[in-house]
Amino acid sequence: MTTFTVDLSNCDREPIQIPGKIQPHGFVVAVDKKSMTITAVSANLHNWLPADAASMTGKPLSVFEHLLNEQDENLSLGQLLQLGLQRQNFDAINPHGITVGGTSFYLIVSMHEDVVLLEFEPVSLDYDIQSSVGRSASAMLGGKNLQTLLQSAATEIKRIIGYDRVMIYKFLEDGHGEVVAEDKEDQLEPFFGLHYPASDIPKQARALYKLNLTRLIADVNASDAALLAVSSEPIDLTYSQLRAVSPIHIQYLKNMGVASSFSISLITHGELWGLVACHNYSPKYIDYKAREGSKLLGQILSSALEYRQDEEDADKVAAFKESTAFLSAHLTKDKNLIDALTSHSRTLLDCTLAGGAALLFENTLTLIGQTPSEAEVTALAAWLKQNMADSIYHTHQLPEVFKSAAAYKDTAAGVLACLISRELNEMMIWFKPERITQVQWAGNPEKPAEPDADGVLQLSPRKSFDSWTQQVNNTSARWTPEEITSVLALREIVIADINNKATAIRTLNEKLQAAYEELDTFSYTISHDLRTPITSVRTYAEMLLKTNPQFDTSSKKMVERIIAGTDKMNFLIREVLNLSKVGRAEIDMAEVNMGPLLQEIAAEIRAAMKTGEQTIEIGNTPALRGDRTMLSQVFSNIIGNGVKYSSKNPAPKVRVNGEIQGAETIYSISDNGIGIDISYYERVFELFKRMDNVQDIDGTGVGLAIVKRIVERHQGRVWFESKLGSGTTFFVAFRNRQEDIQ
Amino acid sequence: MKTPDIFYVEDDPDYVFFMENAVQEVGDNLILTVAADGQEAIRSLRKFVEEHTIPKLILLDLNLPNISGLDILRFIREIPAMKTVPVLLFSTSDSPKDVRASIEFGANAYVTKPDGYDKLLQCVDSVQKFWFNHHLHVN
Repeated sequence: MTTFTVDLSNCDREPIQIPGKIQPHGFVVAVDKKSMTITAVSANLHNWLPADAASMTGKPLSVFEHLLNEQDENLSLGQLLQLGLQRQNFDAINPHGITVGGTSFYLIVSMHEDVVLLEFEPVSLDYDIQSSVGRSASAMLGGKNLQTLLQSAATEIKRIIGYDRVMIYKFLEDGHGEVVAEDKEDQLEPFFGLHYPASDIPKQARALYKLNLTRLIADVNASDAALLAVSSEPIDLTYSQLRAVSPIHIQYLKNMGVASSFSISLITHGELWGLVACHNYSPKYIDYKAREGSKLLGQILSSALEYRQDEEDADKVAAFKESTAFLSAHLTKDKNLIDALTSHSRTLLDCTLAGGAALLFENTLTLIGQTPSEAEVTALAAWLKQNMADSIYHTHQLPEVFKSAAAYKDTAAGVLACLISRELNEMMIWFKPERITQVQWAGNPEKPAEPDADGVLQLSPRKSFDSWTQQVNNTSARWTPEEITSVLALREIVIADINNKATAIRTLNEKLQAAYEELDTFSYTISHDLRTPITSVRTYAEMLLKTNPQFDTSSKKMVERIIAGTDKMNFLIREVLNLSKVGRAEIDMAEVNMGPLLQEIAAEIRAAMKTGEQTIEIGNTPALRGDRTMLSQVFSNIIGNGVKYSSKNPAPKVRVNGEIQGAETIYSISDNGIGIDISYYERVFELFKRMDNVQDIDGTGVGLAIVKRIVERHQGRVWFESKLGSGTTFFVAFRNRQEDIQ
Repeated sequence: MKTPDIFYVEDDPDYVFFMENAVQEVGDNLILTVAADGQEAIRSLRKFVEEHTIPKLILLDLNLPNISGLDILRFIREIPAMKTVPVLLFSTSDSPKDVRASIEFGANAYVTKPDGYDKLLQCVDSVQKFWFNHHLHVN
């Protein structure tokens, strides 16, 4: 057998299941399953039997059986083993009472691969513990919540085994443990609430805790008994009761002042949830049956924990589900997604246990609960967008990965972010505040390395168990799988809703498109079907005049009125057609040099309105992006209006000026005319709407409707400022960059 | 049958009436022959060919029931004897699409129907002056 020296570098690999030694309060005989020969015997055999361990190895089992029968003639060892081997299980046998050297012993049989292990432990209990365990179990399960369950478990186990201190020790996510319940002798200092570093229980020890549910270290000061084996192959003591303890762990217990230690594994969903850790400060052996009773209590506690934990998780999940269902209902009901998620009695905040949440949607940031400032969240969102590989990201230590988050760790040491749309920069973020600011460690968790005489670093378990406080910074409560599931569910709902609304908008758009097309057809029909009869009316009227020179003045006037009426009708029809053309025509985007265009328009208007040169003044003329013909129509209509409505002013003036302002170029067209009553603001751009104060000025109420339609098709803006009696300024803003125009 | 100076296809009796008056007023010797729809127009055109009475000018209303002005135009252009006859499309529509289609189908001009009798007179006068002289000149 190879010897393994534990040092600082390999304590995680110390083969603790094959120590080659046992605790000395009992003795062990290992038998090969097939040959039924003895493969190993503990060196302390002679303390109870008149035989030397070395002389027994390699002998048939019957030799040992014969030795035992000299002590206890009722025992039939061979038969017992055959029974267990047939069943592949020794549970029905264990423990088998025998008498050795006048003392009662338990024979406990276990099997690992081909080796059958016979362990002999003294009996110390003189009453039946069964009923006591039953009482303890019902007392334990009386507790309503998780905490009282744990507390009564500690109390009951202490009652069964009579140790000085019983702690329930829970493993946290990173492997370190916390004492979550404790029962102890009054004079002892409490360990409740203390944290123990993960290295206190190395991983191979954890693996053993899962296989062998109880572990007794009867006396840390007793010298182990070596296991004398036939071959160099080590005997695996995984399932052994008497397995010797790692020297590191012995030292650890000694440092803590513990003489006897007993532990019961707590397993939920197949994982080590924690341990019931029992300490006694003087050597105290626990009878096998009391250990089995404790093990049963541990198993009951485990399943209760599993159940209670499931129940608590289920409650949480149910609450999250209720919240997402609530939000889903509002998303369907409300038009606005932001309102649906943030403005009701439940918000997206209720889908997790976060303290605050942010919703970035359609360029709007909405904050709920405890969050960093808007500017901070905006910066964080930009960082998240850059660094999120998936649609979901979470951390409980944000300041460790994103340095500037340190400034607001009191609200957001943890974030859970979920993208709605990466392209549109839309996401939901939840925040958890910095949580534990202090952890009470049971001694400094950094295992000190102590140089030995040769100067080699030797592992020495820590000696100080004085409570040691560590500052834990930049950390929030963790995001649970339930929260992440809940957020993913919410994301699905939100995205489905956005898609639904997009589909609704698309359908609406298609309907609108159809309606527009219908309107255009209608316009065309009007142009043809109305114009023809109007032309007929007019022509007949003219012919009437021509062929009847004898008409008197009033008859002639009436016929002329008919002609004037048809003219007006014709004009209106043409205007409607112009408007429908704006909607139908393709926009031919180009950079339009505005100087010459405006001069051209001004000249035309001057000619048509017969006004003087000075009436229209043109200032700066920055270029615009748009369709030249349409832009020409916009300016022609607005400038034409300006001239028309200021014609009553003795010194009429219309001024056109353009300025580049950010991403837009804005033209203003000011006149000193009669002005527009601002209370009719909305109606100014409506078709056929004319203001009360312009009834005596010719117009159709179509010009500004055309302007608005053209500007909208260019994704620009048009608005005006006006004062009755002193003039009006119209503004038209066009985007400068092609990319901004969709 | 005398050779018509102008062959006019028009379904609107009012316009037929205006045209008859206008043509009369522009030149009382001018002969106007009218067809009220596409079928009648095609019958008349076949007859013109048979009787060698090819009109000097053809005016086609664009919007006719069943057989449109453009259909008639295509029919005319397939008759060898009528290859050189000027054909003018005559319509209330001023849609660029209609204008383009007419020219592509081989119309010599596209005239928007004048609004009112005085304008119609001017129109007929100038059409007559230009196309009849042009026609003579070409021959």
